[in-house]
Amino acid sequence: MDTQSNFYKEHHKKTSTYVFGLQIHLTFQNNIPPGGLLARTRGDYYTSMRVRSDLDKNRRKNTAALLLLTTAVIVLAFVCLFVGSSHMSISECFAALAKKGSAAQVRIIWNIRIPRVLAAIIAGAGLSVSGLIMQTNLNNPMASPSTLGVSNAAVFGANLSIIAFAGGFLDTGNHLANYSVGANPYATSLMAFLFSTLSILLILGLCRIRAFQPGVVVLAGIAIGSVWTAATTILQFYATDVGLSAAVIWTFGDLGRATYRTDWIMSVVVAVGIGYFAFMSWRFNALLSGDAAAKSMGVAVDRLRSVSMLLASVITAVCVSFLGIIGFVGIICPHVTKKLLGHDHRVSIPASALSGSILLLLADTLSRSLGNGSALPVGAITSLLGAPFFLAIIFSRKGEHN
Amino acid sequence: MLEIKDLSFRYSRHSPMVLQGVDLVLKDGEIGILLGKNGSGKTTLFKNILCIQKPQGGSIRFDGEDLLKMKRQERARRVAYVPQSIHFGALSVFDTVLMGRVSYFGYKAGKEDEDAVWAILRDMRLEDYAARNVEQLSGGERQKIAIARALAQEPRLLVFDEPTGNLDIANEQLILSEAQRVAKEKNIGILTSLHDLNQALDLGDRFFFMKDGQIRHTGGPEIVTEAVIREIFDAEVRIVEIEGKKIIINGGQKT
Repeated sequence: MDTQSNFYKEHHKKTSTYVFGLQIHLTFQNNIPPGGLLARTRGDYYTSMRVRSDLDKNRRKNTAALLLLTTAVIVLAFVCLFVGSSHMSISECFAALAKKGSAAQVRIIWNIRIPRVLAAIIAGAGLSVSGLIMQTNLNNPMASPSTLGVSNAAVFGANLSIIAFAGGFLDTGNHLANYSVGANPYATSLMAFLFSTLSILLILGLCRIRAFQPGVVVLAGIAIGSVWTAATTILQFYATDVGLSAAVIWTFGDLGRATYRTDWIMSVVVAVGIGYFAFMSWRFNALLSGDAAAKSMGVAVDRLRSVSMLLASVITAVCVSFLGIIGFVGIICPHVTKKLLGHDHRVSIPASALSGSILLLLADTLSRSLGNGSALPVGAITSLLGAPFFLAIIFSRKGEHN
Repeated sequence: MLEIKDLSFRYSRHSPMVLQGVDLVLKDGEIGILLGKNGSGKTTLFKNILCIQKPQGGSIRFDGEDLLKMKRQERARRVAYVPQSIHFGALSVFDTVLMGRVSYFGYKAGKEDEDAVWAILRDMRLEDYAARNVEQLSGGERQKIAIARALAQEPRLLVFDEPTGNLDIANEQLILSEAQRVAKEKNIGILTSLHDLNQALDLGDRFFFMKDGQIRHTGGPEIVTEAVIREIFDAEVRIVEIEGKKIIINGGQKT
């Protein structure tokens, strides 16, 4: 009874937004001495009313947050579309969007900027959700989309393609254009993807032996990742100057490499992945309580873990293979969303996806406006932009986590 | 209800047996308590019953059905688990308890699942907590939430690993009386482990003394004797009776 009366005082203080009639009752409620029969029965009624409305409030808050994020993605997509080195005015951009401007402007918008904006949205969402899923699966806040050595393997694959095949065997001369990804778009991406997949399968295969113990997976990822890095170093040691610079430039994430075709491929993979993850939201929630508890609730933990880690890694592999390394999105965005909106995967999966898109759109807009004609590496901008925000969130006491 | 026959378990082919020839029977609404030293195999036995670890030999039957061959969802509707260390992730209490029904709804919780959760929260006087973040609750409160989540599975058997491990005395009493209430009112069998023998005597209907992966003695309160405790725990105690109640007191250092 004592806690109940405290509860009402607190309740009365907090709920000034209540319907007028209800508030009168609550004041009345406050004056009833604890232990009274009336207080008991009415108390139960109002408790349940209040708690249910609190729950509804939480749910509305989450819905509002998701709507806000969606709006931000749409607005930023247009901002990103309108900023660029050709200095088109907003009205010219709209005209070009309606395919009414000059042919050059229509081409800039439709062939260059739209694929790029779409790539930012898709890859941002994919990388961010992959990070979230990895963190949940491995119960490790440091887990990232490329925990299974995906990025390192992709870099090795791309380096092999650029240095060994284009620079070595084909003898295309020391002209940078011959190394450019644009000239030969799919060979390098394909190699990067093949090696990422190899790395994923290797680590998942190895970890099957130990039934996907999270700690083992992380360590195996680090070990295999370092093997790829070492192999890349050796490869680069034998590279020509031009080959080396082309290979290094490939590793800078660049959304400008996106075409409609790569956007299509990425969007299919990302959509399948996020769809599966969203479907499994409750199981991931159960996994937050640990393997034993999740299993006792009837969740097939090993299968969930292997399938979702495979999907998350494939999403990352596809994005990285087409766009180069875009780091940190998969760590910043999930953490910020979890901190602000809690760990419920029904919310954190869509929220991470949207915030990932937002970060990448922002970073790309910034990289193109700062770059003075040529875009700065977007991967560097995501970290520059995201890290201070990330630190502020982590060290602030506000938020649900902690 | 629960019938375990000749259960054996080891981690790998070359490691020693952790459980050996374990036989155990527990009836509906009975509270069974495993007693034994640390490392005697209590937690392993629990994990075998829940199929978190697969036993190498023997059988675990539940109302005549083979628990080991059952679908995991089916099993989750019969046996629920309150683990020793409890962590949830930052979810609301309501969603945490709702999670216990995942074996019923699978992908998306329905109205009847939510109603079931409200009923459990009301029953356990946890309604006030429903909207709170479960991570911000105290140890005792979280223990209660874990019980509520287990009850949301509508189990017939509750496996409760060291319920009083990290609790103060007030919370200990709260949790144990809750366990007792669940067993008697809902006719749910409870299998648990306790270190405090007096608590065990207060709570339990049947006692299973474990040593080196085997159950050495099984029976009602009458089997809790000085000789048995000496054999199982290597500890000297004296048992006195006060007002017809057995009390175990420390027998001093071994001589």
